[in-house]
Amino acid sequence: MFKKTSLAAGVAAFATLFVAGGPAVADADQVDYTAMTPHELAEYLIFEANDGGGFNLSQEMQEGGTARDRMQQDELQEACSIIGDGKPDADTMNAIRAAAAESIVYPEGGIQLGDWERGRELAWSGFGYRVGHNYDDHTTREVGGTCYNCHQFAMDRTGGTVGPGLTGYGKTRGSGEAILKYAYDMIYNPHVYFPCTHMPRFGASGFLDEQAIADIMAYMFDPESPVNE
Amino acid sequence: MFKKALLALPVALALGATAHAQAPEDVLQALIDKLPSDYLTQSEMNIMMMPDNPALWVGMDGEDLFHTPRGPNNVSMEACDFGKGPGVLEGAYVELPRYFEDTGKVMDLETRIVHCMTEVQGFAADDPAVTTRHGSGSDHMQIQTYIAMQSNGMEWNNPLDHPLEKAMRDAGEVLFARRAGMSDFNCYACHGQTGKQVRASRLPDASVGEEWTKAISWPAFRVGHDHVRSSQHRVRGCYFQMRQAGMLAGSDASIALISYWTDVGRGQPAILPDMKR
Repeated sequence: MFKKTSLAAGVAAFATLFVAGGPAVADADQVDYTAMTPHELAEYLIFEANDGGGFNLSQEMQEGGTARDRMQQDELQEACSIIGDGKPDADTMNAIRAAAAESIVYPEGGIQLGDWERGRELAWSGFGYRVGHNYDDHTTREVGGTCYNCHQFAMDRTGGTVGPGLTGYGKTRGSGEAILKYAYDMIYNPHVYFPCTHMPRFGASGFLDEQAIADIMAYMFDPESPVNE
Repeated sequence: MFKKALLALPVALALGATAHAQAPEDVLQALIDKLPSDYLTQSEMNIMMMPDNPALWVGMDGEDLFHTPRGPNNVSMEACDFGKGPGVLEGAYVELPRYFEDTGKVMDLETRIVHCMTEVQGFAADDPAVTTRHGSGSDHMQIQTYIAMQSNGMEWNNPLDHPLEKAMRDAGEVLFARRAGMSDFNCYACHGQTGKQVRASRLPDASVGEEWTKAISWPAFRVGHDHVRSSQHRVRGCYFQMRQAGMLAGSDASIALISYWTDVGRGQPAILPDMKR
């Protein structure tokens, strides 16, 4: 459970919902919304209603596939979609932790710090994997980490407060093996420590590549970095 | 511009007097007096500017549009039913989305205006008046703002008596919590904690009624956009930020989400029109 669900499996599961048990009616006018569970109706509104779905699902995505694929949930997203923003039961939380641990791929030769100056720009940049306006294919601008949306790092730029402040990160924690691994894990797949966290899985999702993670980590740990001033 | 500024006071008085005595800035101030909130007080300048909110002018243009016979059928929108009977606008907006017998659907303000333009006034579905949904100069934003202003200070109270209204609201609740896309985000990612900010933007917490009513008070003039924006525009912006697919204008998915967020704001006074950063 909670291994990275293949796209095909997600599509198959969805098809089952509507072909086997759900209201598999082709004509939208004949679909009775009140006969569905809220969850079934939500899925129907996204993927089927309004003659093809409530969203622009045909748009091609940077990671391949279309917006339809991107709207499909994997197991973690499904388990962590809890009304009221609560947490799943303990068994599910443990399964999420275990799957997250399994997802993490470490660089050959161990965790390295890259270029903190590039990492600084990546931590600031909110560019990448956008749909719709300001759509990008990443040929002109590289994918950023959007880190500043939620975190404060160096005080020369205003960060968000949704996540904890990371000012002086390396200076206060050192750069030993354990803390480097922890930071790497948190960027790669934070659900290993905080199941159903709001933080994206930047490594596991393919949002950031190995070099980008190394550079952002350098921004956090390098003594020369403004984060550690 | 200068001419309009001179007119500001009488306009505010006239519009305020038609429906209710409170001005939007007074509704907001009462919320601030009740609850210290960084989200509500985030921009003193915006609060100061609210008596001259450009959305008031957009709403005035909407008043003309609403009452003028238009379209191939040459009828005004006074023949339209926004839920409280043809031509009745006072308090209509805070009771949307709702089920409409004539279409058999739950509709929000935007989709109801489309319905009136096409079915009552006779505009073709692809007429720019119908298809242009954004910008202060659009018929949509002008008419939406005018209609919404007739609900200023009134409590959100979208009906949930009809089974379809309940079904849409409940599906909207699921959508609000639904995580997907490259960032695993759902609406709680930004609206599940109190007193947080994304970069420099204060975030409204859905569980704090006084904050949430301002969050859902659209149309609002967005200072950064220099335009009046709608609920539909906000929803679409949220999905863009979450890096999920673009929501189609007026889709049932969007109406479900708006039904839920309105229900969350139930009992809190609407600030219409609002002004946001």
